[in-house]
Formats: sequence, structure tokens, C-alpha cells
Amino acid sequence: MSNIVLETENLEKVYAIGRRKINALSDVNLRVNKGDFVAIMGPSGSGKTTLLNLLGCLDRPTNGKVILDDVDVTRVQEKALWKFRKYKIGFIFQTFNLLPYLSAIENVELPMEGTEKSKSEKRKRTHELLEIVGLSARKEHKPPRLSAGEQQRVAIARALANSPAILLADEPTGNLDVKTSFEIVRLLSKLSIIQRTTIVMVTHDSNVASRAGRILFLSDGRLLNREKKGMHLLKGDLTCPHCHKPTQPDHTFCPRCGKKLD
Amino acid sequence: MGALTRAVRNVSRRKIRTFLVIIALSFSMAIMISIPAGIMANQEAAQSIIENYNNTITSMQEEINKTSTLIEISASSRRGMVGMPVPVFGREETFINATVIDEISTIEGVKDIVPFLEVSSEETTEETMSTPRGSFTISRPVYTITGVCLKSTFIDEYSILPTNVMDGRNLTEGDCGVIIISLNLSDYYSVYVGDKLKVCSETFNVVGVYNSTARTVYMNITDVQRITDNMGNVSRLDVYVEDISYVDGIAEVIEAAYPELYVTTYQDRLANLERTQAMYEATLENAESTISQTQAVAFQEILIAIVATSLIVLFMMLYTVRERTKEIGVLKAIGFSNWNVMSQFILEGILLSVMAGGVGTLIGIVGAPVISSLLLPSVNPFSTQQSGFPRQNINFGTALSQSVTVTPDPQTLLLAFGVFLLLGALGSLYPAWRAARTSPMEALRYE
Repeated sequence: MSNIVLETENLEKVYAIGRRKINALSDVNLRVNKGDFVAIMGPSGSGKTTLLNLLGCLDRPTNGKVILDDVDVTRVQEKALWKFRKYKIGFIFQTFNLLPYLSAIENVELPMEGTEKSKSEKRKRTHELLEIVGLSARKEHKPPRLSAGEQQRVAIARALANSPAILLADEPTGNLDVKTSFEIVRLLSKLSIIQRTTIVMVTHDSNVASRAGRILFLSDGRLLNREKKGMHLLKGDLTCPHCHKPTQPDHTFCPRCGKKLD
Repeated sequence: MGALTRAVRNVSRRKIRTFLVIIALSFSMAIMISIPAGIMANQEAAQSIIENYNNTITSMQEEINKTSTLIEISASSRRGMVGMPVPVFGREETFINATVIDEISTIEGVKDIVPFLEVSSEETTEETMSTPRGSFTISRPVYTITGVCLKSTFIDEYSILPTNVMDGRNLTEGDCGVIIISLNLSDYYSVYVGDKLKVCSETFNVVGVYNSTARTVYMNITDVQRITDNMGNVSRLDVYVEDISYVDGIAEVIEAAYPELYVTTYQDRLANLERTQAMYEATLENAESTISQTQAVAFQEILIAIVATSLIVLFMMLYTVRERTKEIGVLKAIGFSNWNVMSQFILEGILLSVMAGGVGTLIGIVGAPVISSLLLPSVNPFSTQQSGFPRQNINFGTALSQSVTVTPDPQTLLLAFGVFLLLGALGSLYPAWRAARTSPMEALRYE
């Protein structure tokens, strides 16, 4: 099986406004491997969100292919796309988009509705995810009673509910302050390293983008022919928060002090 | 967390809106219950009237057949036929002198002459009558005193006394100073067997109570003559002849000899019965036509309730879908299929219908009589309190004097509830379809 999770071929999106045609994306060729943490940067109107919508099967390209987990989703019928959105893709939005009348735990469980998982399996998975994003203590709270950072953590847990092939994050730190942005991007970074979660993140914040493994630049709907390596991990990401000694990505407990790692 | 739980949370989080919608819908539901219940009550009442009518006509027919050798002679025209109660509206009473009995008995072919004296009570009661031209109050005597000649041959052969004594005994030959009273009168005065009742100036022992909706006292004719100061007077004579072939001849002789008296024979009674039958058939036709018109109105009102229910659900759910566009986008982005989204909104529409249906059922059960009388003006055309069925001078039994009871039956409730749920589902179908068709990308952009 190929290591490529997501691939686009000559992707093009043209919007028609009256007689005028606007090329939102042109000839985008992109390849994302399993475990990649890719940041796509670009100024406003460069086509970042359009690209993310095409990758997330929320929109159809005018031309080109989007191959997700070896399936060309552009050939999949509209009414069957929900399966890809449910099982292959996890979405993280700038405005979190949690359902306000559901608790954190219920929001995380939502994508698992209609899956083959039993009720207890769903509950177990939800607890696991809330533990990963560090919100176990606030699982019964509804979004209005959570801070912006906590809401985004719930949204990340929700995106991971069905163990998707890829996580698509649209300006995930756009509504957060600097400190919280740092925490969220660190969480994404850890997910990428520890759980080998494939992440494509759109951002205009270079500090946030710098935490990704690869940084791509989009300008006027075209991917620029330059790619930058991000720092991916900052110092301290893989050190024990208790004894500050180095740990490995697959460690759940610190091999030195034995305490649980976040 | 299932779709139902989410539907409950969504419906309950907008309390005032939900409350108002439920109130509006529940009134539609109450109308859908009350109107069929009103119509059914009407039909049952009509059926009861028709049965009573048929029974009365049959018994009158039998009575006329049994009394083919009877010639009735009365001092006034108000007594029309055998077997009919005497309506007394406070008219001045006229009498026949008892000497007429001796004179008639000399006519050849006369077998027996049975005298009666019928007098209205001095005590009166006020009654309100409703007619198409308005209501008016009349003063009626509380009861009628009927004096009968208590000869055993008359009692045995001519059924001059009530036959349905429920309590105590009937009058017998030689009884004096005792009375039997109707059940209605017994209830009116709370006087029972063994009690005393003051009639005119004298007190009588009640020896029996018979079943009747009329208010009547039976006693010996001599007692009535004494207490009403009518010694030597009677109000009616029943002349029995030897054979039916003598009836016409004897009637002609009596009419010629006593032109001031009203003579009625078997033929007259039969003709009268036919006229009455024709009159009541016409009245029943009118009543049926009234019911048909009421049913047409009811059908329109139910149709309006159905349309109103669908529109309320439709607009409520359209508003909800519009309000929750972004939520729809999120649900679709995280993998909800079109059907998942659609069923979510249909479920919410049905949930609203269930809640409103429950409240509406309660309102319908409690308020059916009021709602149906408000919406169906002629819901009870046979009631004495309603117009549309003239009583004339024939009592068709209890159905005429009882008001129609409007109670929704379980089948009506179940059917109305089922229709209501269906309307909830249908009303939310289009909004749900629109929600399902929403592009997730556009929905997510919606503010």
C-alpha cells in the first residue's frame, strides 16, 4: 500500500460570477504522505480555503483530481461523499463550530453516529480523545462554558473521532490568542509525531506554520515552487513536563520519572 | 447521543417559540378531535330521534288499531289522539256535563262509556322555549290531574290507568283519597310511595309511582270532581261501541246531538296519525339537511385545521433550518449524510407534533363540547334548547329532551393523533429536504 494519503493532480477551481470567471485555483499538484504535517500559507484570497474545501470533499474541482487514500474522490457521486467526510477526513474550523447544545463529550461522539461502533466503544473512544486533547476534566461542559482554546481542543478531538486518514485544519488558531494558539499547534504537532496523524493546515500565521513539517505557499491560486521545512517541534515538545528529561514520541509515561506524559 | 436526543434538546432550548408553536398546533389538534366528535354526537342523537319516532309511531298505530271501536268525546279540541299526552298551556278548561253519559248510553250499539276528568294543577312553573325567532318564557302547570272511573271492568278492559307502575301499587276499584304519581313528578316534589301530596286543597296518600317523563297524578274521578269543584263534570268520554260497523253511525248521532263537543273516531285518529307522520318526516328531512350542512362546515373547518397545522410546522421548520444553516454545514462536514440531516429535521417536526398532539388531545377531550358548539352552531338541532326541531305536540321520548353529549371516542383520538403526526412529518418534509440539499461549503460560510 502506498504511503501517500492525499494527492492532487492539476487541480483547478473556477468560479463564475456572471460572465466573469475567477480562477480560484490553478494547476495545483500536491502530495501528502502519511504522518505529514503540512502547512499551507498564503495571503487572503490566495485560495487556501478553496483548496482545503476541495481536499475535504466539501466542494468539487472544475478540473483535476483529488486522490484520497487511493480513491479519486472527484469521481465519487455527490450523495456518497459523506462517507469520505465521515471516515477519511477530520475537519478543524477556525470558529470551532461545536454544537452549542451538546456537551464536549457529545460533540466528540457526534461523527461516530451511524458507525458500526457500539455505544460503549464510542464512549471509550471519546474519553480517549478527550484525554489526548487534555480535556477529560471538562467533558460534561457545553461549549459556551469552555474557553476558546478548550473549544478548539474539543473540535480537534471531534475531528479525530473516526480515526480519519487526514486532518484538515482551516486557520485553527485564527480565533485564539498567542498563548492558546501555541498550545493548539503544539497539540497538532504532537498528534502528527506521536499518532502519525496526517495534517494539512491552512494558516496565514508564519509562527503557526513554522510548527509544521512542511510549509507550502499559495499565491493567486497557484502553489509556489518553493517548499520550506518547518521546525516541526519546538524544544520541550518531547521532554517530560514533570522532570524535563527527553522522551520518545511513542512514550505514554516518562521513562525517567514514570509520570504520565500529556 | 441519538438523533432523538438532539431533536429534544433543539426543541426544548427555544422554550418560548416552542411553547407558542405547541399552543397554536394544539388548538388545531383540539379542533380535529372536537369537530368529528360533535358530528358523531349529532348523528347518534339523530339516530336516537329516528328510533324514538319509529317506536312512537308504531305504538300509536297499535293503540289506534286496538281502539277501533272507541269514539272519543272531549269538551275541547286540544286532545287529538289516543296515546298522546295532553299538553296544557294554561288554556281555560272546558267540561262536559255528566248527564251526557246517560243520554249517550241510550244510543243503540254503545257498549261502555268511560269518563275522565283532566285538570291542570294550580301551581305553575316558568319554562324558556327557544325558537328560530328567539326565546320566550311561558308559564305551565306543574302537573296534570287525571281522574278516572275506577270500575274494575274499565280498568281490566280499557287500560285506563298507567301500566308501568315501578313502585307501590296501581289504583284499584273503590280507591278513594289515594293517588299514583309519575316518576317525574315524584322526583320534582321528592314525594315517594307512602308519602302524602297536597293536590288542590286536599292531601292524598301516594300509593304508587309509575314510569313517565310527564308530570301527572291519577286518582278517582270523584276525588277530582270534589277537589276541583267540578261535581257532575267530566272533560272526556271514551265511548266503546259493540262493533266497528257502528262507529260511524253512532259518531254522527253524537255530533248531531252535541255540536259543541269534539268527536274523534278511529278514522280521524288514523288520518291524524298520517298527518303527524308526514309532518315529522318533513322535519326529519330538515334535520338531516341541517346535519349535512353542518358536516360540510365541519369538513371545511377540519381542512382549515389541517392546512394550518401543516403551514405552522412548515414555517417553523423553515425558520429553524435557516437559523441552523451553519449547524447543517458542520454536520455535513463531519460526515452526516443527506438522509441523516433530513431525518433530524423531520424528527424535530414530528416531536413538535407529538407534544402539541398530546396537549391538543387533552384540550380536545376537555373542551370538545365547547369547541364543537362554537364551531358547529347547529351541533344539537334536536335539543329542546336548540332550534331546528319543532316539538309540536308529540313527545318522542327522552332523546328530544336531552342535550347531545359530545365526547371524543378513542378511535377519533387515535385517528386525529395519527393524522397530526403525519402532518408534522409532511410539514417538516420540505424544510428537511432543503436542509439536506444545502451545500456544506455554503452552509459553513453562512452567518
